[in-house]
Amino acid sequence: MAPRLPAGWAASLSSLPSTNVLTTRVLLTERHALLPRTAKRGVKYGWSTLPSRQRPARFNQVNSGLPAPTAGPAAALKRKEATTPLRTGVLATKKGVSAMFIGGLRTACTILQMEQVEVVAAKTRAKNGYWAVQLGLGHKNAGNVTAPLLGYYEAKGVAPKRHLSEFKVRTEEGLLPVGVQLQPDWFKLGQFVDARSNSRGMGFAGGMKRHNFAGQGASHGNSKNHRTIGTTGPSQGGGSRVHPGKKMPGRMGNERVTVQNLRVLKVDNEMGIVVVSGHVAGPKGCVVKISDAIKKDPRPRPSSTRPGGS
Amino acid sequence: MMLQPVRRPLGPLKSLLRRNRQAQQFVARSMATETTPTETAASSIPPPISTLAAAKKPTKFHVIPSKTPGKPIRTAFAVYAPPPSARAAHPNPLISYHAQQIRRLDRTGARTALFSKKNPDAAKPGDVLQVTTNRGEPFAGVCLSIKRAGVDTAILLRNHLTKVGVEMWYKIYSPNVLGIEIIWRRPKRARRARLYFMRKPRHDMGNVEHLVEAWRRSRNVFSSNKGRGTQGKGKGKGGKGSK
Repeated sequence: MAPRLPAGWAASLSSLPSTNVLTTRVLLTERHALLPRTAKRGVKYGWSTLPSRQRPARFNQVNSGLPAPTAGPAAALKRKEATTPLRTGVLATKKGVSAMFIGGLRTACTILQMEQVEVVAAKTRAKNGYWAVQLGLGHKNAGNVTAPLLGYYEAKGVAPKRHLSEFKVRTEEGLLPVGVQLQPDWFKLGQFVDARSNSRGMGFAGGMKRHNFAGQGASHGNSKNHRTIGTTGPSQGGGSRVHPGKKMPGRMGNERVTVQNLRVLKVDNEMGIVVVSGHVAGPKGCVVKISDAIKKDPRPRPSSTRPGGS
Repeated sequence: MMLQPVRRPLGPLKSLLRRNRQAQQFVARSMATETTPTETAASSIPPPISTLAAAKKPTKFHVIPSKTPGKPIRTAFAVYAPPPSARAAHPNPLISYHAQQIRRLDRTGARTALFSKKNPDAAKPGDVLQVTTNRGEPFAGVCLSIKRAGVDTAILLRNHLTKVGVEMWYKIYSPNVLGIEIIWRRPKRARRARLYFMRKPRHDMGNVEHLVEAWRRSRNVFSSNKGRGTQGKGKGKGGKGSK
């Protein structure tokens, strides 16, 4: 079937000088007779008059002799290279807080459980613009999963997961095959990790609790304004307006908090737990992303690798 | 239709190529669907616990019934088996963690028994305890509260030193704590778990030095008697469960 022609093509044919049948047929074969009359290329629509498939998509290419661009996807990846971990992190659930005695020293620690952590997909530079590993945590009944996601898990060959999350990695070497399960021994004893999670939600909180405002006096004529935030902006000289970003009462907590450089004190594949030093934000049961520390050499230090207990 | 070959001389060839390309795409997609990681790809990676061979075959098909019988939809999805669940095996790993750590720090179980709720002879709030640490003098004081938190269990002792009230928290499983001894037992069981009212001057026990002195003298009596010395140490008034 012939491709559809522009709507006015018949009109243009009728306006052509029709001396005889032969010339009409010749004219019909001329390209401009059947092309749309709207200009698609030329000076007005860009300098290059090359057909679109020969025209370079972007001009500031490295091979064009110009310096490498300082903005854009490639430049962004290059910029973040140093802070992108080589390996993927893992997903875990916060189970609680306790303590561990290392030598004579008591260290507060957080117990995180890795429940059925599997690699679900790999994001590639060619297709997605970055390297990343998509991990799933937990299990979900198929009846509680939507049909599109069921198709996704079917294609990946993994069971439906409760949570999905991506971990960016520096290069292609950081990618893992789909379907691999990660266990707590993904982390070495004594290594440093960062833990990202959502903090406990406080609900709607006033200025004193949310931003540590001082509040107001209990007496000296104060009337029903003991915990209010007071004034929110300058007077007429200052514009009579509230500046953007003014700290005010509002929803507090339930925001992403990263705790950096936590030491791995214990890993146990059988229980599926990773014990890290210190505290991780969020209530018990919240999902925590643990990954190799970015601001410190994540490898365990010889001096600090004391047996964390077994 | 007649004009098409004239306008697009490569039309049939292009359409053939396109068809070929689509076929290639289809093959690639179905490979991605069916493929499982090979051994070479996973060589430097910890071996997958979920056996990939088992994961290859879907364990069941989840069927979604069409709400309009005249319009069937794609109804079944293959659902693969999840890997073994650590959470099902250890729903509360915190308890296991506490047990593990206590086993490591208190090998004889004496310290656990000293503060166990099941032990009728256990130390209770209101008793006077003495804690010996690996540095400084032993600290004696009345136990105001026992904070039970597994391996992090701690006791709060209160005494008066140079007529100033002093309170000290001790972690009972800390390796720095060499021994905990019961110096004096409260005659009647305290009816509260937290005896914070004993901070008030009206209820304050004050210095417990005289109780410690009496306990030490009683121990010395036993230890000077050679025959009963070793027994008496263990069975003496407050000697139970030290260390």
